[in-house]
Amino acid sequence: MTIPGFIFRNALRNKRRLTLTVLSVALSLFLFTVLQTALREMSQPQLSEQSALRLIVRHKVSLANVLPSKYQSRIARVPGVKRVSRLTWFGGIYIDGGNFFAQFACDADALFDILTEVTTNPDQVAAFKKEKTACMVGIKTMNRFGWKIGQKITLRGTIYPADLELTIRGVYSGGIDETNLFFHHEYLDEATGWHVVGCYWIQTANADAIPDVIRRVDAMFSSSSAETKTETERAFQLTFLSWFGNIKLLIGSICTVIVFTMMLVTASTMSMAIRERTREIAVLKALGYNGRQIFGLILAESFGLALAGGLIGCVGTRFLAQNVDMYVLSHGFFVRFEVTPHIVAAGLLIAAAMGVVSCLAPAIASVRASVLDGLRELD
Amino acid sequence: MAIPLKYNLRNLRVRWRATIATALGIALTVAVFVMVMALARGLKATYVNTGDARNLLVMRKGSTAESSSQIERSKVLLFKYYDEIARNERGDPVASPEIIVLIQLDRLDGGNANILVRGIGPIGFELRPNVKLIEGRLFQPGLAECIVSRKISERFAHCRVGETFRAGKRTWRVTGIFDATKTTYESEIWTDADEVREAFSRSFYGSVLLRPKDAAAGAALIQRLEANKELFVRVLPESEYYKEQTKNAGPIQFMGGFLAVIMSIGAAFAAMNTMYASVGARTREIGTLRVLGFRRRDIYLSFLLESVLLALVGGALGCLASLPINGMATGTMSWTTFSEVAFEFRITGELLAKGLAFAVVMGVLGGLLPARVAARKPVLDALRSV
Repeated sequence: MTIPGFIFRNALRNKRRLTLTVLSVALSLFLFTVLQTALREMSQPQLSEQSALRLIVRHKVSLANVLPSKYQSRIARVPGVKRVSRLTWFGGIYIDGGNFFAQFACDADALFDILTEVTTNPDQVAAFKKEKTACMVGIKTMNRFGWKIGQKITLRGTIYPADLELTIRGVYSGGIDETNLFFHHEYLDEATGWHVVGCYWIQTANADAIPDVIRRVDAMFSSSSAETKTETERAFQLTFLSWFGNIKLLIGSICTVIVFTMMLVTASTMSMAIRERTREIAVLKALGYNGRQIFGLILAESFGLALAGGLIGCVGTRFLAQNVDMYVLSHGFFVRFEVTPHIVAAGLLIAAAMGVVSCLAPAIASVRASVLDGLRELD
Repeated sequence: MAIPLKYNLRNLRVRWRATIATALGIALTVAVFVMVMALARGLKATYVNTGDARNLLVMRKGSTAESSSQIERSKVLLFKYYDEIARNERGDPVASPEIIVLIQLDRLDGGNANILVRGIGPIGFELRPNVKLIEGRLFQPGLAECIVSRKISERFAHCRVGETFRAGKRTWRVTGIFDATKTTYESEIWTDADEVREAFSRSFYGSVLLRPKDAAAGAALIQRLEANKELFVRVLPESEYYKEQTKNAGPIQFMGGFLAVIMSIGAAFAAMNTMYASVGARTREIGTLRVLGFRRRDIYLSFLLESVLLALVGGALGCLASLPINGMATGTMSWTTFSEVAFEFRITGELLAKGLAFAVVMGVLGGLLPARVAARKPVLDALRSV
């Protein structure tokens, strides 16, 4: 019998225990992977390459304060600004409160000049631009509600005192966020009679112009009734993410607890498996195997066991995340939920490390034990 | 006759390594469950404590939060003097038109958050008797003064008495600290309503909080106000408004449930492993017990009980481990108002009982199959085994 064959047989001798242990390691790593993915989505801004050229202008006091719509033409004239669109969070309710998704009022003509990374059908975009009550919807939200092009939907205003009747004229896909709905700002202005803007969305000519644009825009409105704060999309998103506050810390600590629990489980199983074999190990020693070889046998078994659990847990989660729509499942809370190779690798690394650490104590004890004591052992 | 409990206890002690590892696994699972649920409960309790069932909140029809409601000043005057509204000793109607704006402030430990600034009048204090000034003095209208809650003054920069911060067109001076323990007001800054409207260019109020004369008048008032097409308002008891916001705890609660279920399956597997090993090693003991006259049922029960005992030890440890976070302050963002809500972890006896019950379930799940194996061992084979 070959050495790997021997290790394999040993691992398989108690199939029930093997299954239970591998499954509990797999479950722990499933949790670890899910939590890390959630943590990543809650702490790292999700940005496309194209967003590096974009800026957001908002009210200095907070996002909930609005800007006058007359700022648009002044911003457009700032050197380095290629295109600018109004961008206003509508926050409407579709049928009931559980159907959350983001809706923005924007300048239909400028929108896809700024949001360059998404894929659209030119005919649909043309139809969207022509009609004041038209809207463009991300593919994920289309699928979530089973919407069709040409369908009419009603969004009940909560922030704005208006209910909007929109007609879906197009779908976009690609980019980071495929869940948004965009509609004409003119329609919002007409429905409310307010003519206010949440943010301005700027496409700059090149990255070098950005610091200058930020300075000029903010300086331009510094003594007006509504001072502005201009920032990159990245900085803007980071502000949002910082609002999650301590929840992130909580998830991080839970991950640590899970890793620790996992270690306990594998360690306890390994020591059970080894104690049960005290006599066999003594026989191996009597046959001439030295301590290092026996240590290697035990280590390989424990390592393999933990890694098998890790593979099922991490790769399984990745597979699951790719085939289950977390956006629908979480009622719009998670937009992407991407289990990155990085997270999978981290999980596997932890599993491997646990496999090694958890067998150390029982392995060392059995290597040190005397042959005679071991042979005398009864069970 | 049942096998004495002492037998199980001694067994757990003899195999202390496996006992400790398994119990700790269960303990950590229970601790995570209790802590996450304590977070959700703390947040919920904060909302529930805030609303007073005697007060009515008037908002624009269609808006879901005070912060997105607008009611013009002229409309407030239309209903402020309705007969159904209670009067205070000076004869003024107990109705407080208020306005809410969000400002961004820097946290002391880095980052920033949206803070809710509430513009109120003297009546606003009468309607919230549980809010008490603990340091400094009240703000004086017209001087850009404000009072901040204790939690805000502890967590945010420039929020101690005498300090100033800029927001809107004004530089605000903090003149006092108020205590509104365990309510959402603990996450707010208060100042004069009309001054807020001026500084943040709002022509309207946000909402009106009022106290009807009695419950019957309240019901009548709701009907009267909502029937008035010109006002276009929605009226609901203040307690209900805050109860609606407890749904903010939803994602946390979901996370708690999700973690608990998955982790408990893992912990039950570990318990099962331990119990199987324990049954395997005690085959001869089981045979002996049978010969002594204990029936299969007794053995089944005894092993199941042992598993439950093991889980209970773990559950108790887990509850103990989670206790220190009771009352610990934390904060998160409310998705209703988009502002920071400070609250405390809240561990109740009921929650601890749930944690223990949860541990028992893990013990039963982990013990069922091994106990069955133990009970079914044929007596002779069991005695013969080495």
